[in-house]
Amino acid sequence: MSDFLNYMKLNVTPGEAGNYYWATIYILLIFALVSVCVMLMTYAERKILAHMQIRLGPMRTGPHGLLQPIADALKLMLKEDIIPEGADKLLFWFAPVSVMMIAFTVYLVIPFGRTHAVTDMNIGILFMLGVSSLGVLGIIIAGWSSNSHYPMMGALRSSAQMVSYEIAMGLAIVCAVLMTSLKTGTGTLSMIGIVQAQEAQHTWFVFSGWGLGFMAFVIFAIAMVAETNRAPFDLPEAESELVAGFHTEYSGFRWSLFFLGEYTAMIAVSSIAVTLWLGGWLRPFSNALSGHTWDVAFNLMPGLTFVGLALWCIIGGARMPKIRQLKIQSIGLMLFGAMLGFIGLVMLLPGVRERVQDIYWFAMKVGIFMYLYIWYRATFPRYRFDQLMHVGWKVLLPTALGVLMGTALWGVLR
Amino acid sequence: MSDAKIYSQLEAISSHEKPFLDSNEMVLNMGPQHPSTHGVLRVVLKLDGEKVMGLECVIGYLHRGVEKIAENRTYVQFNPYVDRMDYVAAVSNGLAYCETVEKLLNVVAPERAQYIRVILTELNRLASHQVWLGTHALDIGAITPLFYTFRDREEVLKIFEKYCGARLTTHAFRIGGCQYETYEGFEKEVMKLCDFVMPKIDEYEELLTTNRIWLERTKGVGVISAEQCIALGATGPVIRGSGVRWDLRKAQPYSGYEKFEFDVPIGTAGDTYDRYLVRVEEMRQSVRIIRQAVAGLPEGPIMAKVPKVLKPPVGEVYHSIEAPKGELGFFIVSDGSTQPYRVRVRPPSFVNLQALDSMCRGQLVADVVAVIGTLDIVLGEVDR
Amino acid sequence: MSVVTLLRKIFMVDLIKGLSITFRYQAPSELVTEQYPMERPWIADRFRGVPRMSVNPETGEPLCIACELCALACPEKLIAIKSERNPVTKKKELLTFTYDTSRCMFCGLCEEACPSDALELTQDYEMAYFDRTGMILDRPKLEQGQEPTVYAR
Repeated sequence: MSDFLNYMKLNVTPGEAGNYYWATIYILLIFALVSVCVMLMTYAERKILAHMQIRLGPMRTGPHGLLQPIADALKLMLKEDIIPEGADKLLFWFAPVSVMMIAFTVYLVIPFGRTHAVTDMNIGILFMLGVSSLGVLGIIIAGWSSNSHYPMMGALRSSAQMVSYEIAMGLAIVCAVLMTSLKTGTGTLSMIGIVQAQEAQHTWFVFSGWGLGFMAFVIFAIAMVAETNRAPFDLPEAESELVAGFHTEYSGFRWSLFFLGEYTAMIAVSSIAVTLWLGGWLRPFSNALSGHTWDVAFNLMPGLTFVGLALWCIIGGARMPKIRQLKIQSIGLMLFGAMLGFIGLVMLLPGVRERVQDIYWFAMKVGIFMYLYIWYRATFPRYRFDQLMHVGWKVLLPTALGVLMGTALWGVLR
Repeated sequence: MSDAKIYSQLEAISSHEKPFLDSNEMVLNMGPQHPSTHGVLRVVLKLDGEKVMGLECVIGYLHRGVEKIAENRTYVQFNPYVDRMDYVAAVSNGLAYCETVEKLLNVVAPERAQYIRVILTELNRLASHQVWLGTHALDIGAITPLFYTFRDREEVLKIFEKYCGARLTTHAFRIGGCQYETYEGFEKEVMKLCDFVMPKIDEYEELLTTNRIWLERTKGVGVISAEQCIALGATGPVIRGSGVRWDLRKAQPYSGYEKFEFDVPIGTAGDTYDRYLVRVEEMRQSVRIIRQAVAGLPEGPIMAKVPKVLKPPVGEVYHSIEAPKGELGFFIVSDGSTQPYRVRVRPPSFVNLQALDSMCRGQLVADVVAVIGTLDIVLGEVDR
Repeated sequence: MSVVTLLRKIFMVDLIKGLSITFRYQAPSELVTEQYPMERPWIADRFRGVPRMSVNPETGEPLCIACELCALACPEKLIAIKSERNPVTKKKELLTFTYDTSRCMFCGLCEEACPSDALELTQDYEMAYFDRTGMILDRPKLEQGQEPTVYAR
């Protein structure tokens, strides 16, 4: 306990403090919370996608389908696990595990707040790029070891896709890294350092450089969709062409690991975009709306959000049609709302609200990206294999190079 | 066709260009269980990497012997079965069959019946194209238009349900006219549907027509020339997309189509995008025809004088109509009894499907899916 | 390519147009889902569903005159009728009437053939059974009509 109090006084991440005990706890905490986020994300995806497609989405499992993720998880775990004949058993087993492990490893360097990170690596960005590009390895292994045609083609597509988008992504990241050196004179590769540079420069990188930052951000935003194999770049698992792509032969728990890995990677990559361009954990409008009153007002936001959600749930529960079958559901929805309201009230307490708000703003920004992912999926057709390469090599790469040179010139001339 | 024969035929296809690097050719079975073969079509692809070198369609998984069934049913009894061929456009099937038998009997449906038939078949064309658009977009990866098109198709199906009591397999027409008189408020409801559906068509277009991904996925994909279309016997939007102004409603009017004013949209390039534009424009033209037909709906009987027991004179007859998917023809041989001696159906999907091989060669696997979508096949009709 | 199209392409106007449509449709007022057992679908008057045989409400006698026209009209030949000539009144009297809905395609030809309007296809549509025996309707079942399905826990 004294260990913890000592660490709390330090105001640094457990990794920096050299406190292995607390670092482990942080890792476990991130593992658990990200898994919960993935569950929430699947629910949100089904609901938002459904509403965009003028459907209701899950409605029967719990009030408004709130228990659907749990039901899904249970179903996947109880499902029979099939290994196709002629598959390479070891690699078949290893592929989903590796995809998930790699997706989670990226979280080591993601700063959810000044102190809310496992560690602050001085090569944080490089570490993240290196680890996240390993993700494709799992997909290729999965495709090859399944001993089936569709997964094989999915794996081949995935490898080509990854190669063509990593470079544009890397160049866009370099733009952001260049920008960190503007005021302070020394650039940094540390994720926390990048956010602190944005704090020192009183601007998010997406707004700096007369639109150059924004262009780099757009390139990253496109490349990250391709990197995580989501629509409109979901070629490796293109449902209408390759049935399910690289995970065609997977079922049950192994498949759920792929699923977990994919969504974890989505959150991870969005976190990186938020860190690099959208000011990480910094609250919005810190220049225009500064001062103590505004600080307090923005500090209250997390709690108010939860209280608002709680009210929404309670009103929704009260407005449910008064049918006998729906009685349990409306009570459940109200209980859920009460729970959210309790969390919200706790977050309103001074002391708690200061510590929570870093994570809150970070999560909000990531949430916007998650919404965009779903929105893209609902709207766009899928690119073809060669067109995807065309976009990657002939559009994004030259643009990224141009933006990089522009940023460098702008930095020198300033 | 046995599998061994299919594979040996594919074996004969060799790449005229030397494959890049030392690549192995792969034979991929697509279907009969596949998300986007529109039912139970099986396509055996020969691939060089992702490139299609040749393909072989295997059909017959939905064969129910409709033509044989006809030989054991009376003319009236066979009528409901034709709805089960192209179940997406059941009304058109009914019209084709009824008109063929009427031709055999030398009976002409009364004018009011003809107008009702035109209204319903054009509504059905609208519904069929909506299904096509939704599924085609789904194949290409846009998952949302499907729900919008199906929502609007629902309104069409509601009119069918109100008119004849069924939504999909309608059995709307009878030999000699129509069984059902229009219900109260029919005209008003159809006009309301026309006003409702026009902005929705614009909306589908807004989602897809200018979308760069859609353009890239459809332009220059599955190109087929007018000569090839004629040689293969392809009809409907497929041949019109290649720039041939061939529409049976204009070329050999039936059921009073000569009284209505409408354009026959044609494409130029003969690719998937042109066929998409042709079909979308056809939806608008259908609405135009429906409006004219409803405005000019005459009074009068809806059933011509036909005997209770149909015994057509000995002879044979072929009659075809412009179904949403192309020329749908019925060839009926009568031996003078109550049952047809032979019924042969010329289904548009079946004939159009023959173009798949020539449209897909040299394209990628993703294009095969797009081309199957653009041919607008219904396996119930292909296999009968 | 003109400047306008180039600008439209750079600013992704085509993509944003599509995105705006899907965004607009999120409004709850656009929903079309019917929550089936709780909300009943709309059924037209002319709908062809579960068959029913009408009886004379005063006497309880079947309206059916056992003329077997429906059995003749049926393309699937799924109606089987047994009748007996009453020696007193010299009238045909209906003994059994079975209607096999498992093979029925609800074309409505039997309904049209009936001269006494005894057979009718009703608006009931819930015909899912766990085995085939429930699908073959005999006279009492046909005369009673479909019992409305109740969904409750």
